[in-house]
Amino acid sequence: MHRQRTDLGSPPATVSRRQLLGAAAVGSTVAAADMNRLSLFSQSGLAGEIARGDKSVILLWLAGGASQLETWDPKPGRSTGGPFAKIQTSVPGIEISELLPKMSQRLNETAIIRSLNTKIADHGGGYALMDTGRRSEPGVEFPHLGAIIAHELAQRESQVPDHIEMYTSTEGRRKGAAGFLGARYNPMFLTDSMMPDNIQRLEAISDADHADRASLQQFLSQRFSRDVPHPAVDSHNAAYGRVRGLMASDYLFDVDREPQSMRDHYGPTQFGQQCLVARRLVEAGVPFVKVARAWWDSHGQNFETHRELCADLDHVMAALLDDLKQRGLLDKTLVVTMGEFGRTPKINGSLGRDHFASAWSCTLSGCGIRGGSVYGKTDEDGQTVIEGETGAGDLFATIFAALGIDHTKEYMLGSRPIPIADFDSFPIREILA
Amino acid sequence: MIHDSEDATDPPAGLDPTDLRRLAEWRSQDILFCIARAPGDPRLLVGSSDFGVDALDPTADKPQRQRFAGTGHHSYVTGLAIAGGQLISGSYDRQLIWWDLETGQQRRVQTAHDRWIRRLIASPDGKRLYSVADDMTCRVWDAASGESLATLRGHATETPHGYPSMLYAVAVSPDGRWLAAGDRVGHVAVWDTETFQQVATLEAPTMYTWDPRARRHSIGGIRSLAFSPAGTELAVGGIGKIGNIDHLQGPARVEIFRWREGERLQELEDETRKGLVEQMVWMPDGKRLLTVGGDHKGFLTFYDVGSGELLHQEGTGGHLHGVAIARDWQTLAVAGHQSIAEWTLQPPEEEA
Repeated sequence: MHRQRTDLGSPPATVSRRQLLGAAAVGSTVAAADMNRLSLFSQSGLAGEIARGDKSVILLWLAGGASQLETWDPKPGRSTGGPFAKIQTSVPGIEISELLPKMSQRLNETAIIRSLNTKIADHGGGYALMDTGRRSEPGVEFPHLGAIIAHELAQRESQVPDHIEMYTSTEGRRKGAAGFLGARYNPMFLTDSMMPDNIQRLEAISDADHADRASLQQFLSQRFSRDVPHPAVDSHNAAYGRVRGLMASDYLFDVDREPQSMRDHYGPTQFGQQCLVARRLVEAGVPFVKVARAWWDSHGQNFETHRELCADLDHVMAALLDDLKQRGLLDKTLVVTMGEFGRTPKINGSLGRDHFASAWSCTLSGCGIRGGSVYGKTDEDGQTVIEGETGAGDLFATIFAALGIDHTKEYMLGSRPIPIADFDSFPIREILA
Repeated sequence: MIHDSEDATDPPAGLDPTDLRRLAEWRSQDILFCIARAPGDPRLLVGSSDFGVDALDPTADKPQRQRFAGTGHHSYVTGLAIAGGQLISGSYDRQLIWWDLETGQQRRVQTAHDRWIRRLIASPDGKRLYSVADDMTCRVWDAASGESLATLRGHATETPHGYPSMLYAVAVSPDGRWLAAGDRVGHVAVWDTETFQQVATLEAPTMYTWDPRARRHSIGGIRSLAFSPAGTELAVGGIGKIGNIDHLQGPARVEIFRWREGERLQELEDETRKGLVEQMVWMPDGKRLLTVGGDHKGFLTFYDVGSGELLHQEGTGGHLHGVAIARDWQTLAVAGHQSIAEWTLQPPEEEA
């Protein structure tokens, strides 16, 4: 299979795509670029890269592992099925748990994958797998999904952050990493508040002073570049512009700027308000936002826990899809729900369900997705996948394909090709638009 | 639950909790959420996670569960009551079903609530039924006709943190006059069954754990209520504060109230055998209390209510959801996770 390559040079991740695109835009500096950069331009298609720039992903991370049986793959009437009924959705023939009544009426925008078999059923391992799309490997720091998306979709001239993660609960909190893509793609990681720390302008410096300083920096750097052309100057300018952009982005995190009716639409929960921020971010051009909703690890009282958490998920996810659609953003925004794994069909003595990675579900909504579709099937008790077994790599390939990213593309880590979707992974064409 | 037994004798004086021992156990694959026994009938009646209502006769040579016939329930069966010679079941499917105890045939099906029915009891005279459900109402039914007599509201539909609340527990006083219901956040409402007026409220907030930081959801709730024989005290059962709410690893907790005065007399917590107190029964002397429940495993625990002393405890392999006690206290039948068992308080020498 032909795979498109993006050379990262050596050492890994020292050359960013933005710098490469910046070099192309400058024109005269292209000659100074090394062959790795040239190979990127010749194989990836710059026009295509830019065309993809307005697409985004919102990942609703169901931390701890939501039960597929209480969400997307109900088995009522079976010993494993639990007490909840299934309900008909807006798509004839597709039924989901009664705990998701609002989403049941919005399934036209959503594809369900019911056949994830990811095998790793511990929190740390499951997280690493589902956030990188491949098994961990000693000596290689694979980039997480958000970093890949930021790397592939961020626009060079964007003044907003391109990889944001919100994880305010403490249990299972793990920060995504850009790995060999370089720190440039690490997330802005929000934990204690929805407002990023340290991006406010110092009170002692007026906005006019700040702008003046930026102008002076630009003037000096341009003059320096004329005399001494060097990629490091471009990099410095990019970093400076990025900081300015981040500082100017604080309003995106302020839900008070939304009408009360819109805040009410998302509801009073923290998850709801964070998803409202996520919408503001993608509307402003942020390519990847992860909102973690913890904590679904219901070893005891699974049904009570899901009654609470599914009410939150159902309302907020429905509100988000409605809002994105109404703003014309849903066609450009892919909303994903998943966690590190699902939960056991067997109900334990505490009326709980334990970790289970052999047959579980996730959803994809919006951009590039054939809504109203279901892929894969589990057996009548939900114990095994009987159709369409899907691994983490396949899910990643599907996400990339939905966004128009070539899933066969490769990063070059030194001389080693690393595909952005794991080897032998394929997109699920049946759920792609 | 104590069952009237027309042919039963009064409980013997000198019941000793340390005499508690298991007579028999019947294992299964399902979860039994409730258990009842009809007067003069040796059968144990259970409600199951397989949506069925079954009878098991411990006196048979080879006891086997027999399924009551009919379309039945469509979700877990969580409440059973005996009233007027009929068996009535309540379920998460929101329905009450009346069954003929003799024939095992379904007689009446009635949609009773808008959400899960958590518990169903009968009044001491067998003329009324009381059901509680996650629509946060306690409903009063004519046991014979199925007519709705009242819908009692006294519980918030949402927790303080904006999530759906749940109404787990209901109890009626031995004289039938007072009715109490307890919810997820630890609120108890008490009504007068003659006027249907709310006459008291109690708060047991320790029963509810909200984790605002690590896991951002809740666990717990009042799971059981029981009036003392005199009707003046109310035992409130559930679970204490939990550190890691992924599991039922909190202390089994009971609070005793002099409910009219709103006075909390006792706070009992058991850290040895943890979990939910699913059901409680006062012993006839009004001084001792039996609790059953559990986490992964189960317990039967006797307390001295006055001193708060744990008098005796037996562990079980699985979580216990319910207990049915004959009026003579000779046998205690428990139902739980994949098990029905019969216990006795009769000293071994007397049995022999």
